[in-house]
Amino acid sequence: MKRNALVFATLLVAILTMLATGTYLDRNRRHGATRLLGDVHGVPAPDFELTSLDGKRVKLSDYRGKAVLLNFWATWCSPCKVEMPWFVDLQKKYGTDGLVILGIAMDDTETPKIAQFASEMGVNYPVLLGTDQVSEAYGNVQFLPTSFYINREGKIIAKGAGLLGRNDIEENIRKALASRVVSINKAQAAPSQQRDPEVQPATQ
Amino acid sequence: MMRTLAALLTTVLIAGVAGAQGPGDSVPSVTMAPVGKVQLKAGSTANVEIAFRVGSGFHINSNKPKSELLIPTMLKLSPPQQVSIAAIQYPAGQDMSFPFAPTEKLNVYSGDFSITAVVKAPAKATSGVFPVTGELRFQACDRSACYPPRSIPIKFEVAVKSR
Repeated sequence: MKRNALVFATLLVAILTMLATGTYLDRNRRHGATRLLGDVHGVPAPDFELTSLDGKRVKLSDYRGKAVLLNFWATWCSPCKVEMPWFVDLQKKYGTDGLVILGIAMDDTETPKIAQFASEMGVNYPVLLGTDQVSEAYGNVQFLPTSFYINREGKIIAKGAGLLGRNDIEENIRKALASRVVSINKAQAAPSQQRDPEVQPATQ
Repeated sequence: MMRTLAALLTTVLIAGVAGAQGPGDSVPSVTMAPVGKVQLKAGSTANVEIAFRVGSGFHINSNKPKSELLIPTMLKLSPPQQVSIAAIQYPAGQDMSFPFAPTEKLNVYSGDFSITAVVKAPAKATSGVFPVTGELRFQACDRSACYPPRSIPIKFEVAVKSR
């Protein structure tokens, strides 16, 4: 009898937990906040070299020491259009703190059309022309938008799969910024302490 | 009692998993229903209705999306020399808004829809069964993400009877 009661109680708790979880996730989705996938957390962001809309070759490693929001998007992706004005605002807000947003356009469209679209959206950050190789390097980006938040050390700290809410995006940006490059004055440092600029948590 | 609870638990588990689905949990699918052999007399035309189903939770752009940047659904057919495609008629899409842009209407297909191909046999066509092949190109989205354009193969047969 006691055993039956225990099993019943366990099942009841399991059911209530699943219901609560399902409701929470569904509510988040309704408000545009999809989950963040944590499986890439702490992984060094693969370096790449891509061509920007104005024909320059741009490497991810050019931005070492900055927090980078890598946003895979396309002109045919309606949810991507929702994020872009937020990115414009966030680039303005956090640019001086060291944020760089890099848009990676996964279009087959001609470059001038992508450039026109970006211009119409008021994009104030570099847009690069994506390739399958870069998509593969980032785990085969299967849908858009997909964003990777990279900290100043060049490590991925979060991945946004699908359209996130603006607050979620901003929170991830803050986390990516929450480490700062500290330059050690080599002349003052003892030989054993001499090293290149290093990354330290902002709180230290 | 325990069996009832176990059944209830299973139901809730399935519902919970379904409710927790996000982008990438399933691949957008568009499937084509089999098309019966089309009977056609030389010198005549026949309307071939090709039925498609868009997977649950997804939508694809209609043939006339509201923006030129959006990728329209397109049926391309390659008929053999003995028959031709006189026209392809697309259904009107539905104007729908989605959580990612509640104030914007997109013109889409979702669930079941059909495209009609008008197949024509020339007056001097010879008798025979001829395959018509092609592809349906579409670009799908769900509630919060969009997937790269894809194509599925199309195939049906046309039996032509000469005069």
